[in-house]
Amino acid sequence: MDPALIHELKALLGPANVLSTREDLMLYEFDGSVEKGRPDVVVFPHTTEDVARIVKLANRFAVPIVGRGAGTGLSGGALARGGGVMLVFARMNRILELDLENCRAVVQPGVVNLEITRAVEHAGLYFAPDPSSQKSCTIGGNVAENSGGPHTLASGLTTNHVTALELVLPDAEIVRVGNRHGDSTGYDLCGLLVGSEGTLALVTEITVKLTRKAELVKTLLAVFDAVGDASRTVAEITARGITPAACEMLDGWTLAVIENYLRAGFPRDSAAVLLLEVEGLREAAESQAAAIDEICRANHAREVRTARDAQDRDLLWKGRKNALGAMGRLAPSNYVLDGVIPRSKLPEALERIHEIGTSAGFRIGNIFHAGDGNLHPIILFDPRDKEQFARAIATAEQIIRMCVSLGGSLTGEHGVGMEKNELMTLLFSDADFDLMRRIHDAFNPDSSLNPGKIFPVSKGCGEIRVGRHSKTAETRA
Amino acid sequence: MQKHTSTLGEVPVYEDFSLCTHCGLCLNHCPTYRLWQLEADSPRGRIRQMLLVEEGELPIADGFVRHIDRCLDCRSCETACPSAVNYGKLVEHARARIENEYRRPWMARVMRNFVYRRLLPYPERIAMAARLLRFYQASGLQVLARASGILRMLRLAEREQLLPRIDRRFFFDQVGKTFPAKGPRRARVAFFAGCVANVTFTALNEATIRVLTANGCEVTVPDGQFCCGALAAHAGVRDSARELARRNLAAFTSGEFDAVVTNAAGCGSTLKEYHHLFRHEEPEFAGALTLAEKSRDVTEFLAGLGISAQLREVTARVTYQDSCHLLHGQKIREAPRQLLRAIPGVELVELPYAEICCGSAGVYNVTETRASMELLAEKMRHAQSTRAQIIATANPGCLLQLRAGAELRKTNQEVLHVVEMLDRALSGSAAT
Amino acid sequence: MTIAANLAARLEGVVGSSRVLASEAELLGYAIEDCLPAAAVRPSCSEEVCEVVRFAAAEKLGVVCCGSRSKLQMGMQAQRYDVALDLCALAQIAHYDEADLTLSVDAGMRLEALSKVLAAKRQFVPLAVPCLATSTVGGSVVSGIDSMLRLQYGTARDFLVGAEFVDGTGRTCKSGGRVVKNVTGYDIHKLLIGSLGTLAAITRLNFRTFPLPETSAGALTGFSSAEAALAFRRELLGSGLPFSCVELFDGQFSSLLDGELGRLKDLGFAPLKAGGWSLYTAFAGEEAVVRRMKSEVENRSARAAAKSFEMLEEQRNEWLGDALRESFDWLRHAARGVVIVRISQKQFATQGPKLFLSNPSSSGWRSALLMSGSGTVMLALLPEEENESGREEMLCSVREILAQGNTGENTAKLLHAPAWVKAHCNVWGDLRGDFLLMQRVKAAFDPARVFSPGRFVGGI
Repeated sequence: MDPALIHELKALLGPANVLSTREDLMLYEFDGSVEKGRPDVVVFPHTTEDVARIVKLANRFAVPIVGRGAGTGLSGGALARGGGVMLVFARMNRILELDLENCRAVVQPGVVNLEITRAVEHAGLYFAPDPSSQKSCTIGGNVAENSGGPHTLASGLTTNHVTALELVLPDAEIVRVGNRHGDSTGYDLCGLLVGSEGTLALVTEITVKLTRKAELVKTLLAVFDAVGDASRTVAEITARGITPAACEMLDGWTLAVIENYLRAGFPRDSAAVLLLEVEGLREAAESQAAAIDEICRANHAREVRTARDAQDRDLLWKGRKNALGAMGRLAPSNYVLDGVIPRSKLPEALERIHEIGTSAGFRIGNIFHAGDGNLHPIILFDPRDKEQFARAIATAEQIIRMCVSLGGSLTGEHGVGMEKNELMTLLFSDADFDLMRRIHDAFNPDSSLNPGKIFPVSKGCGEIRVGRHSKTAETRA
Repeated sequence: MQKHTSTLGEVPVYEDFSLCTHCGLCLNHCPTYRLWQLEADSPRGRIRQMLLVEEGELPIADGFVRHIDRCLDCRSCETACPSAVNYGKLVEHARARIENEYRRPWMARVMRNFVYRRLLPYPERIAMAARLLRFYQASGLQVLARASGILRMLRLAEREQLLPRIDRRFFFDQVGKTFPAKGPRRARVAFFAGCVANVTFTALNEATIRVLTANGCEVTVPDGQFCCGALAAHAGVRDSARELARRNLAAFTSGEFDAVVTNAAGCGSTLKEYHHLFRHEEPEFAGALTLAEKSRDVTEFLAGLGISAQLREVTARVTYQDSCHLLHGQKIREAPRQLLRAIPGVELVELPYAEICCGSAGVYNVTETRASMELLAEKMRHAQSTRAQIIATANPGCLLQLRAGAELRKTNQEVLHVVEMLDRALSGSAAT
Repeated sequence: MTIAANLAARLEGVVGSSRVLASEAELLGYAIEDCLPAAAVRPSCSEEVCEVVRFAAAEKLGVVCCGSRSKLQMGMQAQRYDVALDLCALAQIAHYDEADLTLSVDAGMRLEALSKVLAAKRQFVPLAVPCLATSTVGGSVVSGIDSMLRLQYGTARDFLVGAEFVDGTGRTCKSGGRVVKNVTGYDIHKLLIGSLGTLAAITRLNFRTFPLPETSAGALTGFSSAEAALAFRRELLGSGLPFSCVELFDGQFSSLLDGELGRLKDLGFAPLKAGGWSLYTAFAGEEAVVRRMKSEVENRSARAAAKSFEMLEEQRNEWLGDALRESFDWLRHAARGVVIVRISQKQFATQGPKLFLSNPSSSGWRSALLMSGSGTVMLALLPEEENESGREEMLCSVREILAQGNTGENTAKLLHAPAWVKAHCNVWGDLRGDFLLMQRVKAAFDPARVFSPGRFVGGI
């Protein structure tokens, strides 16, 4: 890294907003995933203009740029794979405007997801996308990854709740796309940008939809003695046309683990539980809860329990949302996969995961969004054991291939990032990549922004090539 | 696959660090991350730094020491952590290493040595210091100092505001006494009076005894008790903490008590972890474990026992600030709220971000004054938004900090310990 | 041999003679305004679509994709209109996993035919668009026309989960997938929604399907003033009650609607006859839900001192709902030279519909207005008689409405207008800062500008 760039960044932002020592940079080489990538300098912009100026500087020095929020991502989307300048948006964390009547909020990208809800809940509103990291993750990161969560089933992913964005393009130009009502004229650029994993533009302002709290929420916990019964229950609920607000499955083995640490009230001796939630008009929630109860029992649920009150409900959800972290208790590291399958294939998929795990010598936990077919198999391993680590990665790939073979997809909410970019060829053809690359280049022609993500980089040559001016190598190899 | 083997002993092992999956769920719960948004000042970042230090990748130098010093040890991250990382223990270990391996500036060394090794372990020295301070406050010197602007010149203005008001009578006089239960005896408890609280919270301690006895408890204040050692342990001065623990074990294991009760959440969480100060094979371990298991925060104890005394109406809008070492250290959230709600006339309103530290954190407001004041400003902003007349909390340190905040910000809010609220309800005086 | 005939012959060489239409009688049906293509091609598979596009790209031809052509007149005149690419022959359901509630369907399939298949499984795709009887799936999505169920189910953006299409280089591409939750790769299919066929020839669309509600009902509430009607609308939208639509319309719209319904027979919707403002609400779901909604609307109407009220059950609800859904279609045929402007504004816009016209009464034309619950407004200007001075006045008004409707975050565009109006107005409203990006996106999809050149925003 050219010291002149660091010098100029400090002059631009003040020394308190620039980190460049090795000790500091070591803390930005990781996120919530198993990937790594160290930036050469970390900067904290406060305004859109700051961002544009930083981009200009980076361009002058021809170094890559990557944006980062809270660094809770699970596919390495906010890691500096090609080194360069990392823009941390955590200090752009103001809620700029609340339009409660029209259910909109205008926020900076560093605002923490849950803080939006905290700011509007007094008016009976909330921000619907609820990734498990919502207490820490930023809305900017949610936009980049098109994050989902347990309640995606009924309320959609982040993209369904974002209506406008302010962007800083890789050439430092500032552009607004979409509009407040979500009804702008022309191409739906906002729809393209959400989920583009920071490879098209840096997002500096976001207009989000706020959702009205339902009149009644009912949370049910159904306990099963066989995994097959639980997955058949999910398939039947779906087939019967009931769309719960959330439908989560946790397998018995992982339940026992999390219950030991979280005491959320889950059984310790079941094969699987379903955490189901219905909401809406009182009449709708009640009749759906009754129908779900009936389906669960018809599928041999040992027990179906309804959360007594908000506190009980919060506890069950806390258990669910913290489940992943609790797995940390079992092994030094865990690899959370994120695949999608058609919901009708759920029983089959779970069996296949079990088989794959058994033959690879891993016991695989499953805590996932069953209602929309979004699997999260968890592989536990010790990263110090290189052979085991390699085996974990290979097993993960096998599971993702299985999802695709069932008519599913590579990722339901974590994003492709640098985790699955090589697997993209399972789904996409050369023509698909060509078009995606042309769209990429329409925004980010030099690959200066977040290089090495989404697109396969080692296609045909088995070598990772990233960074600026390597476009040709990346695509045409 | 390897099962996790946590030692929680004196030296953490790889597994204690690797429990952290760097998921980042702790970030927004950390007061210092909320202030500065720096990984280095977040729990995840601090754990990373500690691991790098353990692995020899990072030296114990100024940067590391600064980030570890800035940690409030409020353990809010432990509440947020899904992997149950034992952050408090890790940071104390890091501090112990810093204490042993890092040479602080001369002034800091002298001060730390004085406070942790020469002052806190000796009640008579605390009393002496208190008398000097009281002379400063009562003689007019304080008024003079404030008016002269000399404090501002010495950049001590804010710190001076945080000085506890020294009581005219010290609680030391009550040590060794036993107070009979009013009405039929429902329990026998030992009261842990604390150290500095003896000279600054005489009224609170007396109120605690009144509330306990009014609810059928026979209260003994065992002789020979000392500072719990929390401040020393948190600062990494482990030898001093162990010595204090030994003396307290002797004082509290002599009598037959149902519980050892404290009104200081910081002391409570240290007492409850006394057995962590000793190795299994050490002779003190068994006694430490017994004391740990008997220790109760006064709110926890009273909520569990149930209020039997007649409470009269106290008409007030009240909000509650969680004391970190009660909520995060001891996982007690409901008990103090339950007690407040039990007082007729009290309208309890939730304080936004009540779970975030007020910046008091033991001696943090003295050692890291700027950060502490920023946290306090934010805290008082939220407290004002509740339009509460009284801010209740459950720890003397928090009381001092919040009182200073109310004074600095002129919020016109009274700051009381939950027990003081109950005491007020016993006599039935209406709030202002 | 004319150029046209020559082109047709060469296209026959590409896809076979049975797939090419070249007679003037046949081509009249593909006219945009008064412009005919040189040939129309009806490919039978996506490979043939690729062939045609590759041919067109090589020959620098302009290709306009179409389905049933019910919305072919939207947008501007094409700069080059050589080939009409009629996708109606691509009309199969490729994949329907009813237990997963996902569907993959060819773009040329008619919505009505699709609905029948889905209804047999008690499911549907919530595209309640005008010209429902003839519209194709692809046209409904690519035209960006509003669905009457938007308030409840959102736009296609919310339930289109993937697509296959032929880009401007003549290669079949895809994005998304067939699962309900997916973040793999760029959401390219979202760009196709409302793109008016300027990016690609869509061959297949993947949707998430929804269960058909158990039952449904509606209500019609009449008001004597716009203020009272707007206040009531505001109350309902702010109530959090799950309406499937909340449509407010003025007296002029009411009488046109009444006339339209009367073409069947006199159905006697009292609030429509009474004139003034009316508000139509519809709701669907379980019996208990509909019962609750009925009482909510009835009680709230009574409290709001409505002038008239009618609960609409089954057939009557269907009649009125269908007529409202089709309003774009019958409005444009209600007179010669009708102009329909679509304005998008805040859901709770308080200024009311008068905002759009400083002088709403004119001797030359009448205006009719429909405000949907999602915040979109359809304003139709119906000329009394066509003459030069009337035209001038009309044009002034249209320009004023577009100008007013395009302020701040609001947008306004011409949904329907005679050629002479379009020629003198900004059909798509004003260009904004993001136009540069749209041009780049267009170039990425369609570097040779094969698809509908000049028809969309900024003449893209």
